[in-house]
Amino acid sequence: MSLQQILLVLKREYMTRIRSKAFIIATILIPLGMVAFIGIVIGISLWDSETQRTIGIQDNTEVLYSRLNNLDEQQYQSFADLSEDSLRSLVQAEEIDGYLILDESHITGDANLELVSSGAGGLKLQSSIRSDLREVVRDERLDRADVSEDVKEIYASSVTLETRKLTQEGEETEDDTGFLTIVGVIMGVIIFGAITGYGGLITRSVIEEKTNRIIEVIASSVKPIELLLGKLCGIGALAITQMTFWIASFLGLAAAAGPIAGMFLADQMSGMEDAQKVAEASQGIDPSVFTIPTIETSLIIYFIVFFILGYLIYSALFAAIGSAVDSETDTQQYMIPIMVPIMVAYLIMFQTMENPDSMLSVVGSLVPFCTPIVMITRIAITDVPIWQIGLSILLMIATFGGTMWLSAKIYSVGILSYGKSASFKELIKWIRQG
Amino acid sequence: MAVIEVRNINKSFGDTQAVRDVSFEVPKGRIFGLLGPNGAGKTTAIRIINHILIADSGTVTINGHHVSPKTQRMIGYMPEERGLYKKMKVGEQLIYLAQLKGLSHSEAKEATEYWLERFEAADWYNKEVGELSKGMSQKIQFIATIAHEPDLYIFDEPFSGLDPINSEMLKEIVIELREKGKTVLFSTHRMEQVEQMCDEICLFNNGKAVLNGNLREIKQKFGKNTVNIEFEGDHSFLDKLDNVRINNRSTNFAEIRVLNGQHMQEILKTAMDHAEIYKFERVEPSLTEIFISTVGEDNINTKELG
Repeated sequence: MSLQQILLVLKREYMTRIRSKAFIIATILIPLGMVAFIGIVIGISLWDSETQRTIGIQDNTEVLYSRLNNLDEQQYQSFADLSEDSLRSLVQAEEIDGYLILDESHITGDANLELVSSGAGGLKLQSSIRSDLREVVRDERLDRADVSEDVKEIYASSVTLETRKLTQEGEETEDDTGFLTIVGVIMGVIIFGAITGYGGLITRSVIEEKTNRIIEVIASSVKPIELLLGKLCGIGALAITQMTFWIASFLGLAAAAGPIAGMFLADQMSGMEDAQKVAEASQGIDPSVFTIPTIETSLIIYFIVFFILGYLIYSALFAAIGSAVDSETDTQQYMIPIMVPIMVAYLIMFQTMENPDSMLSVVGSLVPFCTPIVMITRIAITDVPIWQIGLSILLMIATFGGTMWLSAKIYSVGILSYGKSASFKELIKWIRQG
Repeated sequence: MAVIEVRNINKSFGDTQAVRDVSFEVPKGRIFGLLGPNGAGKTTAIRIINHILIADSGTVTINGHHVSPKTQRMIGYMPEERGLYKKMKVGEQLIYLAQLKGLSHSEAKEATEYWLERFEAADWYNKEVGELSKGMSQKIQFIATIAHEPDLYIFDEPFSGLDPINSEMLKEIVIELREKGKTVLFSTHRMEQVEQMCDEICLFNNGKAVLNGNLREIKQKFGKNTVNIEFEGDHSFLDKLDNVRINNRSTNFAEIRVLNGQHMQEILKTAMDHAEIYKFERVEPSLTEIFISTVGEDNINTKELG
């Protein structure tokens, strides 16, 4: 193998792509697209929550309705003078979303309450009604039982849980598990996206050389393995450039976002009329210290390591696919065996998010085809034993050796076969032949 | 000394044996034609010489060196399936390809500029290949093949897909290269191109080299046993001739190979009885005829021969 040839190929792959308009546009648009996507999701949920629901109440107890009305003036409307049939027709006409008939028996006995609704509002409405009813019935029962204020206060009080994390060194730190889970999942998703995205780029690049018919000209100067390595490294370098750009702009934005978000929130709060709410809210988020928790450097290093190893393992296979087919439309059948382990890893990641030390997560993070996605999420959330990390890295390196060997054999035959896509049977033959 | 020496090479793909025990030598400073019908194993042999494929057995040497990445740099190779990166600029692309052949960046740049100038294409330097017409990109392809100025040139089916102007230009390049003392090997299934250009030939059929050597000597060996006849009138008399093989037949022309030493005057007589004769010439056999009589009529698909 000649390093000089590999470097020439690498340079070409890198330079022609980094200058292309498509690459520059994608580099800018992908993060903007993601921001827009998140914005739309948040927008939808905000817009949705503002829908006003109306529940008709026929109160035969004369006490429960006023309590409900105190909880939510808009949602609960009294229809004391209407018959149940009229309430039904109101629901059918969609003038109200549902109705409740409240009787003494609901306070004194264990009779079940019945909500008749059109189904609008869904689970969210049901659970809000359930908790409201639980509260008003409980309060009424407490009043009637004539218990002391102390007891009432006990019922009114709520328990908050604050969490602190104790590290192995005995240091007690602010527990960022929630934040780190998000970071871990984002990192996993990025690696997932990068493997499939850049993998696809490699497949297309190999197919392009075949369909352009330049491959044989190149093959008369460069060994297939040199061409393959140069290509993988060139596109890998491109991936790292793009990531670096994104991470740098993310960190830059994050640094700026804290103060900006703080200012924004402070503005909103001063606009609120209820002074008490401001006080409450400010306790939770103090504008001056509203910053994103720090991400440890070691996590970023692990991210880069797993990103690179994951890319290498899969990119070799993606290149093999490109060489085995004759046109891009034929890639589907070969993509399946590669996409299955990636998808499995992606699904395991969501389990890992909830339970990073479960058997599934540990095994998933050690299976080399899943490691890059699952392990980075685990490392972000929890303290993964160092032997597991070490083992997973060794296994990935070994697997890369394997996929590279396999791919080099398919590639060196595949690039010179024109006219039709190879069958799986032929691929096996090529591997034996090489 | 032979520039290329091929010794008993074999190459199989699965059950099909593409090249069987092939040996030939390409002398220095000559134009060597590798010919035979499609699928005869020419491209496989060429790829082995270019070290793109490795022979299952046998040896190939270039200027005395066993084929290796080093010998690849001694060769300018234009494959049958050829092309360029469409989205890369002409200049960059030529520099890249020359660098892969071992030139330094500045040497490659110099060579690229020289050849673009020579082909009156200097103003294409910054154009993307995709913007060029087919004929223009064929010229770029030639430059890519010859820019590193090797001593040995290999063209696989060079005339297929070329427009007439580039076809003529390539012929001139090939002849110019020989005048400079370079060696050229090209493959083709078109016999007349070989007749016009080649000094030496090697005939391929079914993976075997069935005949090789100096074209003139081969022709002489076959003797002047062929008649070219030009006439006007009913051509059905040709069907009545016995012990002949008629190649290249049209309504007013036929190339008749006389078999079994039959007297040629008989053919002339028969012809005169049926048609007006414009030309009757005794010549050496054409390559097509040589090829057919070497491998036997039943063993080839004559339609494959141009």
